[in-house]
Amino acid sequence: MAKIELSNISHTYNPNDNNPTYALNPFSMTWENGKRYAILGPSGCGKTTMLNIVSGLVKPSKGKILFDENDVTDLITEERNIAQVFQFPVIYNTMTVYDNLAFPLRCRNFSDQKIEERVKSVSDTLRLSSFLKSPARKLTADQKQLISLGRGLVREDVAGVLMDEPLTVIDPDLKFRLRRNLKEINEQYKTTLVYVTHDQNEAMTFADNIIVMDQGEIVQVGLPKDLFEKPRTTFVGYFIGSPAMNLFNSEILSDNSIKFNNDTIKTKTDLSKIKDKNVKLGIRSEFIKIATDQKENIVSVKVTRVEDFGNFKLITGKAGDLEIKSKVEREIPISTEELKLHLPAEKCCIYSNEMLVN
Amino acid sequence: MEKLYKFLKYTFIILWTVFIVAPFLWAISTSFKDFQSVNSKVTYIPWLDFEPTLEGWRVLVKSPARGGVDIVEPYFNSLFVTCTASLISIVLGTLAAYALSRFTFKAGFVRNNDITFFFISQRIMPPIVLSIPFFIFLSTIGLLDSLIGLVVVYIVLLMPIAVWIMVDFFNRVPKELDETALIDGCNPYQAFYKVVLPNSIPGLIVAGMFCIIFGWIDFFFAFILTFTEVQLLPVKVVALNSSITPWWSLSASALISVAPLIIVAFIVERYLSKGNLSGALK
Repeated sequence: MAKIELSNISHTYNPNDNNPTYALNPFSMTWENGKRYAILGPSGCGKTTMLNIVSGLVKPSKGKILFDENDVTDLITEERNIAQVFQFPVIYNTMTVYDNLAFPLRCRNFSDQKIEERVKSVSDTLRLSSFLKSPARKLTADQKQLISLGRGLVREDVAGVLMDEPLTVIDPDLKFRLRRNLKEINEQYKTTLVYVTHDQNEAMTFADNIIVMDQGEIVQVGLPKDLFEKPRTTFVGYFIGSPAMNLFNSEILSDNSIKFNNDTIKTKTDLSKIKDKNVKLGIRSEFIKIATDQKENIVSVKVTRVEDFGNFKLITGKAGDLEIKSKVEREIPISTEELKLHLPAEKCCIYSNEMLVN
Repeated sequence: MEKLYKFLKYTFIILWTVFIVAPFLWAISTSFKDFQSVNSKVTYIPWLDFEPTLEGWRVLVKSPARGGVDIVEPYFNSLFVTCTASLISIVLGTLAAYALSRFTFKAGFVRNNDITFFFISQRIMPPIVLSIPFFIFLSTIGLLDSLIGLVVVYIVLLMPIAVWIMVDFFNRVPKELDETALIDGCNPYQAFYKVVLPNSIPGLIVAGMFCIIFGWIDFFFAFILTFTEVQLLPVKVVALNSSITPWWSLSASALISVAPLIIVAFIVERYLSKGNLSGALK
C-alpha cells in the first residue's frame, strides 16, 4: 500500500524517430493510498501503457514514478512489489489452483503458515476454495480469471493492485458481485486499486475517482458526479453517460445567455470573458424535463421518436436543425407532436473550443 | 453409404498397418533363422516354419576375435553421442529461442526473423556441402575420429531443429505469462525457469524427440568423420554386410537399432495423449 505518484510521465513507442508519436502525452498524477481509481477511455487511448509504466513492464520515455516518495522509475517490476491483473486470464498451467495463488508469496519467501492463511482468505472471497487442489488448467475461463485476480490480491503489502479490464470475460452476475468484493477488499485492507475499463458503468460504480483519457491525454480527473454533471470537455460529455450529453452549436447573445435555435437560453456561467462568439451548449438528457410552469429556458421541439427503456422514456426531438434528447419518467404520457422542454440554467454547460467555461 | 465408408476406412487402415508392421515382423522372424532357413525353399508356412536359433543375435555381442561383430560398443557410442548432443542442443536452443521470441535484436539490417532463419538455413544445405569443412575443422582441432568431435558436429546439426521448434512454441506462449511472473515477484531468470519453461514441456518434448531421431539415424557424418577408433551404430550395421549377406544378424541389429526410437515414440505418445500439449492459456 502506497501513494503512487506519476510525475511528468510521457511515453512513446518510437523514441528514435524524428517525429515520435506519443502514446502518452506528458502528465502528472497522484494516486492516494487506499483509494479506488478507474481509468476510463476508448480503446487505444493509452490506458494500458499507463498501467504498464506503473508496474514497470514499460519504462517511460520521460518522467518519474514515486511510490511513497521513493523513486522507483529505474526499478524492475520484481522490485516494485505491485500486482497487475490482465484482461485475459493468465494462469500457471502446470500448477494447482493453490500453487497459483501461493506463487506470489512463495517468490517473496513468506512462511508456509502465512501463505496458507492468505490463500485461504483470498480463495474464500473469490469462492475458489473447493477448487484449490485441482490443476488450474482444468478450470473455466472465468474461474481462471478469478485465479489471476486472486494472485493480485494475495499479497497484503503491495503498493497497489492494477487491473486491466479484469472482468471482461466474467459473466454479468458474477461481475457485479466481484466489483462489490473488490470494493470490500479495498475498504478492509486499504489497498490502492487502479481499474482500467472502457465501460463507464463499471467505472462509475467502482471508483472513488475516475480518470478519463483520450488519445494519450488525461482529459478529466474527478468524482463520478463531476464527470456526469460538469464534463470538462465535450469528449467527456459525449463519452460518459447513456445517451451521450446533448451538445448544440450555439452563439453567445449576452453575458449570461446564448442562442438555441430561435429561443434564448439563460445560463449561470459568466460568458463575458469569451472572445469567440461560437460556443457549444451541453446538457444531459436526464436534466431536460417537459416544461410545466417555468417561464425561462423553454424550447419547443417536434417529437421525432419516443423509446421506452422500461425504467424511463427517451424522447428524441428536433428544434430546427438541432436534435435534442430527453429522459423522462415512463409514466408521463407523451401525446402531442409539439413539446415544450425546460433546460435548467444551472445544468447548462457552455463549451468554448470544446473546453468547459467556468 | 456409411457402411461403405467404414469398410473403406478399415481396409485402408489395415493395409497401412500391414505395410508398416510387416517388415518388422519379417525382420523379427529372420533374426531367429540361420543360413539354411533363410536361403532354402519354404516348406509349409512362410516365415514361421523353421528351427529358431539365437545365432543372429549372438554374433552381435561376440567380439571379432571369436567370430562375432560386437555392436555393443558402437551402440553405446551412438547412445552417448545422440543423448549428449541432443541435450546440449535443447538447452542452448531453448535459451536462444526464448531470447529470439522475447527480445528485439537489431544489428544493421539483421532482425529477429533473420537470426531465426539463419539457424534454420543450416539445415537447408545438403550435408555433403558441410562434409569437407567439418573434416578439416575436426582434424585441425584434433577431434577427428573421436566421440567429442562427433558430439560437436551433431550439436551443429541438431540445434537448428531445437531453435526452430522452440521459437515457434515460445511465440505462442503469451507475453503476459512472463509479465505476470515478473509482477508476482520472479526475476527474469526465475520467470523463465519457474513459469515459462514448465509451460513449454510439450514443446521441449517434441524438440527433444526430433533431436534424438535425427541424431540417432545420421549415417553420413558418422561415416566420414570416423575411421577405426570410434564407430557409431548406423555405420556398424552397414558394415555387417559382406559377400554372403548375413540376413539374420542384419535383422537383429536393425531391430535393436530402432528399439530406442520405438521406446521414445511410446513415451511421447503417452505424454501427448494426456492432453498436455493443448491449451496453454485462456
